[in-house]
Order: sequence, then C-alpha cells, then structure tokens
Amino acid sequence: MKKILKMILKVLGKFLLIGLIGFVATFTLYITNGENKLIYYVIRPFLNKHYDSQVRDRKI
Amino acid sequence: MKLLDKMVAPLDKALERFDPLKKAEKGTGGQRDRYYDKTGVAKWREWRGVKDTMVDYGAWLNNILSMVQMVASAPVPILKGFWEYRWMGSYLGTFMFIDRLFEGYRGPELQIAHMNMHAIVQSLTKRIAFALKNDARFGGGPDTMNIIPHDETITPLFLKGFKGLYPFPLQTLPEFIICDIDQHIEPYYIDVAESYGLPADVCSRCAAETGVAIDDAFPLFGRVLLSTNMPCNASEATSMFQRRRYAKPDFPITLAMQHNNPEALPYSRETLQNAMAFVEEHYGVKYDWNEFFKYARLMNEQNTIELEKWDLFKTPYSPLSGIAESLYRLYSWQSVNGQEEYFNKVDRKVIQIMRRCYEKKYLPFGGKTRHRAFLWGPSAVYYTDFPTWTQNCWGITIVLNMDSTMGYNIINTEDPEIAMDDITRFTEKACMRHHAVGGWENINAVWDWAKNFNCDMVLMNDNIACNGMLGVHGMMEEQARDLGFHFIFIEHDLQDSRTVSRQDMRNCVNKYMSVVLNEKPLDPTIVEFDDAEAY
Repeated sequence: MKKILKMILKVLGKFLLIGLIGFVATFTLYITNGENKLIYYVIRPFLNKHYDSQVRDRKI
Repeated sequence: MKLLDKMVAPLDKALERFDPLKKAEKGTGGQRDRYYDKTGVAKWREWRGVKDTMVDYGAWLNNILSMVQMVASAPVPILKGFWEYRWMGSYLGTFMFIDRLFEGYRGPELQIAHMNMHAIVQSLTKRIAFALKNDARFGGGPDTMNIIPHDETITPLFLKGFKGLYPFPLQTLPEFIICDIDQHIEPYYIDVAESYGLPADVCSRCAAETGVAIDDAFPLFGRVLLSTNMPCNASEATSMFQRRRYAKPDFPITLAMQHNNPEALPYSRETLQNAMAFVEEHYGVKYDWNEFFKYARLMNEQNTIELEKWDLFKTPYSPLSGIAESLYRLYSWQSVNGQEEYFNKVDRKVIQIMRRCYEKKYLPFGGKTRHRAFLWGPSAVYYTDFPTWTQNCWGITIVLNMDSTMGYNIINTEDPEIAMDDITRFTEKACMRHHAVGGWENINAVWDWAKNFNCDMVLMNDNIACNGMLGVHGMMEEQARDLGFHFIFIEHDLQDSRTVSRQDMRNCVNKYMSVVLNEKPLDPTIVEFDDAEAY
C-alpha cells in the first residue's frame, strides 16, 4: 500500500514539476511578448522578402 | 473566489505600479509606455492584476492551442499556404491583434471578450485549414468540389439546405478578416488593382478584392461562384472582376437595393430560389429543407440571445460593448450564420454573465465611462481596436455598432414557404447593407437606435471613398444639432490606412473632446502616438 502511495506521489510530483516548468516557460514567453517580437522582427521580414520576390500570374 | 481575491491582494498591491490603468490614474504613465515607438510591438504584455493577467494568459494559451491544431490538421497545405499567399503571412499578427483589441479590459469585460474572441479564433483556424487542404492550387482535397464559394456579403445560411456541401465566403480570408489583423496587407492588393487602371477613388474594400483576384491570390475550389450586388454598387464592379478571374460558372445574387419595400421581397426571394436551383444543377444535390431548419434553429437561438443582449446594452451595466461585441457579432452573424454550434454555447455562457452583472449593477471599465456612443456606418477595417481606444482614452463606450444590427428576424423552421420569405428578409439585411444602403430612412435610423440605447453620442464612420454616404454629410450634422446628440464624423478609408491613418482617425475624436467638450483624457499617453508601422 505504502509502495503504491509512494509511486502515485512520485508520478504526481513529476506531473507537477513538468506543469511548473511548462507554466514558467510559457508565462515568460507571454509576459515578455516574446512570440510577437520574433514574428515582427524575424519571421515577417523573412516572409515579406519571399513575397516580394514572387512572380505572380497577374491578369484581369 | 473571494478567498482567492484575498490571497492575491498583497501581490496585486505590490505589482500595481506596472498596471497601465493605475499609472494613468496616478498620472505616472499609461498604456503607451510599454510600446516601442511606431511598431505597435509591446515591450511586455499588459499587467492587469494577478487574476485578470491569468485570464488573459489562459486565453492566449487557448488560442495557441487552436493554431497548433490548425497546423497539425493539415501541416503541408498550411506551409504551402504561408509560402504561396501573402495574406497568410499576415495571420501571424493575430496575437498582437488580440492584445490591441482588449487593452485595458478587466473582470467580466475581459472574460467575455476572450470567450467571444476564442470562438472566432477556433472557427477561423479550422476554416483556414479546410480551405488550404482543399485548395486546388495545392492539389486539392476530398471536399474541393463540394465547396460553394460565395461572396462574403451573402449570408451562407440559405445554402445550408445542401447536405454535404460547404458554403465558403471567398473574400473573408484574403481580404476582410486579415485587414482587421494587419493594416498593411490590403494596400498591397489595392496597388495591384490600381496598377491595372482601377481609379484610386473607389471603395478600398472592393479595390482590395479586385487586387486579390488580379494577383491570383484566392484559394481555388468549388464548381461555381455565387457573386452578388451586395452591399452596394461598388461591389457589383468588383464582382465582375472576380468572376472573370475565378473563371467558373457564376450566379449573381442581385438582391433588391430598396429592401424595406415589401414589394421588393418577391424579387429577392425569386433571386435566392434561382441561386438554389443553380447550385442544385451544378452540384447535383437536392435542397433539403429539414437540413436547412437544423441550422436556422441555431441562428434563431443566437438572434434570440442577441435581442436579450440589446436590452442589457441599454443599461449602464453591460460588460459587453465595443469591439468585443461588434467583432464577434460581425463574424458570428455574417460568416458563421448558424453553421457552428460552438457560437451558441458561447452565447449561452455570455448572456449568463451579462445577467449576473445586471443583477449586481456592475459598472464596467471601472465606472469610467463618460459617454455612450452608437457607432454608425461601416467601420475602418484597418483600425479594429478603435472602440477600445475611445474607451481607454476618453471614456467613450461604443454601446452598439451599426453592423451588429444585421438580420435579426426569426426564421420559420417548419414551413418552407414561410421560411423562404424569412430567409430572404434575413439575407437582405446583411453586413454594411442593412443601414448603409436601401434608402434614406435606413441611414437616418441612427437617431432612433441611439435614443433607444440611451446614447448621448453618435460616432459616424465616414468612409471617404463611399460615394453613397458622402451625400448625407450636411444633413446628418444638421440633425445631430437639432436632436442634441454629440456627433463626430470619423473619416477613414475603410481598408487603406495610407489615406487616413489611425492617428488621423483618433484626431477626429481628440479635437471634439478637447475643443468642443473641453474634457481631459483618461490616459494622456494614448491621445497622440505613432502606430504607422504596427500591424
């Protein structure tokens, strides 16, 4: 019984630890506005360069 | 809940100095402090107190999850879409867009705003995945030929009688919604249209749609195209350009412009019936009224709840207002239109929160509302968070938006003959059409609406390229004076932020509030700022 309880507590502890790490990581990204900075300064300029170089099939 | 409040109170107190609303109250700063100049990129997200920051964080996670699900459901088409379509790149601005929309929101205002917004995000992400998965440009999918592409100003509800077919508003992804998210995307398509000789003084929405067509940037699917004359004469022109480029059998759904006139109903009804026959002919699927009734019931429930919301909007105790109300109503009515039960579930939850707030006589936005305004005329799509700004800067709550008053008649769900009349009336009262066209009395109805909703102010959107509305300027101003409303024309160019910038729009309000009313802003950091490079 004690062994099972210990195992449950161990698994629960692991879940809590993963949850805590997940929370700290995602909350840091959220509060620092990290994903928007990455999108605005890195991803969109890269994509825009690609879009500007496209040859479009333009016609009416 | 009260225990939780007590537990976080010391932390809230300690971190209060980061809350822009508190900073503005104390005169030590405000919303704009946390932004890099011009770009609209925030150095950090808004601190709203522990509880509300967690609500916002939770909503952010939830929206990320929807986007992950979108990519996971069709990874290759999504990547191809990002590579092929310029407008797809703009969807990356969604998180910044949502942050802008709900700046300064707290408590039930924030909770409802995120419930409404997530409904849009989860729906839109599914639609993007569905469109790209079935885009013939990328090889097509199982439903490529089962999609009915239709003009976005046609409401899709009447097409739900075709079991196994999927109505899809063609322009919504590359033109309408994306302009809400990124003010720089449509000028590109407008330039494409103008480089082919389209004059620069036409409605920018129509110019942008034309540009998307010329640039070959519509997703390709379906067997036909249902075009339309809605909402106005400029749409007739852009429909003609789009049908040429889309090159599929086309049925123009030309509904009566003078739609209030009962004599126009048989004409519009016949047009819709002919459109149904056209779809039956090209897709080989018979119209099923029972199938239609299923979705009409969902729409009826949404409209019933909407009417109750309107009663609550008339009081000072509604936590739902501004952009949280109008963007949701616009999307859930015009685009979803009874097709997705998720929206009914959200409506049921939202109305409960609203009822509770009314019972408690809850004053939203910290009780800082000074004016109740009705927003009339089609709004600038490139400045979706304008109502948020009026609230945060001057305490002007946008109680209701003209486009939220679209078709709210209840549709009969038992008799196809009666239902046909009902769905015709419903379809005629579409976005930008119910009050912007169809006769003087529709435009002039603003005063009754403003009075009924206990507004002291009318903000009149003035789309400078809308030839129809330009003629009413003087008359509206005269009437506002006679009726005693505060009245401000908000000049804008609908989808072209280069002609009238967001700051130019803000200046229309700034001048009236400071010169005419001699009021002081709630947050001086957002009276004048440069966001020209922001999405």
